[in-house]
Amino acid sequence: MTDELTGLVGAYALDALDDDERAMFEEHLASCAECAEEVRGLRNAAAELSHLSEVSPPPQLRAAVLATVAQSRPLPPRVEGAGDNVLPLRRNRSAALWQGLAAACALIAIAVSAWGYSEHRDAQRADARVSVVETLLNAPDVRATTTAMKQGQGTLIYSRSEHRLVLIGRGMPVLPANQTYQLWMMTKTGEPISGGVFRPDPDGNVEVPASGDLDGVDRMGVSVEPAGGSVQPTAATVQVLKL
Amino acid sequence: MSAMWFERSGSGATKTEPVALSLEELVTAAARGNEQAFAELYDQTSPRVYGMVLRVVRDPAQAAEVTQDIYLEVWRQSARFDADKGGVLPWLLMIAHRRAVDRVRSAQSSMVRDDKYALLHEERPYDSVSEQVQTSLEAQRVRRVLGDLTPAQREAVTLAYFGGYTHTEVAELLKVPLGTVKTRIRDGLIRMRDALGVMA
Repeated sequence: MTDELTGLVGAYALDALDDDERAMFEEHLASCAECAEEVRGLRNAAAELSHLSEVSPPPQLRAAVLATVAQSRPLPPRVEGAGDNVLPLRRNRSAALWQGLAAACALIAIAVSAWGYSEHRDAQRADARVSVVETLLNAPDVRATTTAMKQGQGTLIYSRSEHRLVLIGRGMPVLPANQTYQLWMMTKTGEPISGGVFRPDPDGNVEVPASGDLDGVDRMGVSVEPAGGSVQPTAATVQVLKL
Repeated sequence: MSAMWFERSGSGATKTEPVALSLEELVTAAARGNEQAFAELYDQTSPRVYGMVLRVVRDPAQAAEVTQDIYLEVWRQSARFDADKGGVLPWLLMIAHRRAVDRVRSAQSSMVRDDKYALLHEERPYDSVSEQVQTSLEAQRVRRVLGDLTPAQREAVTLAYFGGYTHTEVAELLKVPLGTVKTRIRDGLIRMRDALGVMA
């Protein structure tokens, strides 16, 4: 065992390593019987320290613990020889959901950093946008699609259950002052419903939060309209983004 | 609840008399969903767990909350306890310590955190263990053994354990090189292990 790792044995047994060091040491521990032996002994010694702070917990805690436990079941044993005693600990935040959202998260990271950039201009609005994204992220049915537009591209992040949507536009042409972009929710049957007007920043980037019932909405449209927006989209300029 | 427990669990003694189940047996039963056994495990271990958590997080309400989380974790992980890697109590206390430190750290990070000065000068004095009056025999024994460490070893060990600091933070606090702290912690624990007769 290397000197560096030897030095970590005590701190590991005492739980005094940071996450990275602990991960590194545990990797080593799996293949070093000598270290494992020493860890066992030192961890026993460390555990003895808790005699010094021993105190009865509040009586009501027992019932609380047992009630919590009654609503949960023990995880199955590890079958492959991977059974660490070495603590699962990092909380499992519904891992499956988060994995499923990886793609969306990557996009949102971009979006959030873009919002962070604009924050100095309009901190409160940026916060509101971030909270929209958070709400979206937490929705079980969040989806993301990216569409190449005539110029630039648009990504839609949306949740039908949350009735929310964010359009992230990149590289969109900057419009003259007398024109604006307008977002539309489009269904197969009814008329398009306005999702609001927006203007990209000088680099052509924009994030547009919108909310509304997405039932039956299968496409979003982006059109160029006179400043102030229109009641119905100017058909010739509509760029369609499929949900 | 005795220091002798470590020897007992390691010996694998056959159970002939109807004595209380060992902690290991309780964990095994809990892993099969036995809530009664788990309640027994709680009764036998919670003063050690809660007391340590309280020492680290300070606030009784938070300590209770963290302790509840710990026991849920222990229940969930009970089938994954591996006696080959050590006893129940060290395993449980490791989970507990990690959770307690997590709590302290998340409380800190919700304030301003990228400030070393704050870390070093915050009001989180570690208890000097010697000030405490303990009555249990085990506590007296541990205190004696701790008293036999060098002051530097004792300080490093208690800062890390009851202060919840990483060894890097301990080094900063004490203004000594990290390598020195590593050595103090390890040598201190070795000395405790040998004096307490807690074998691996």
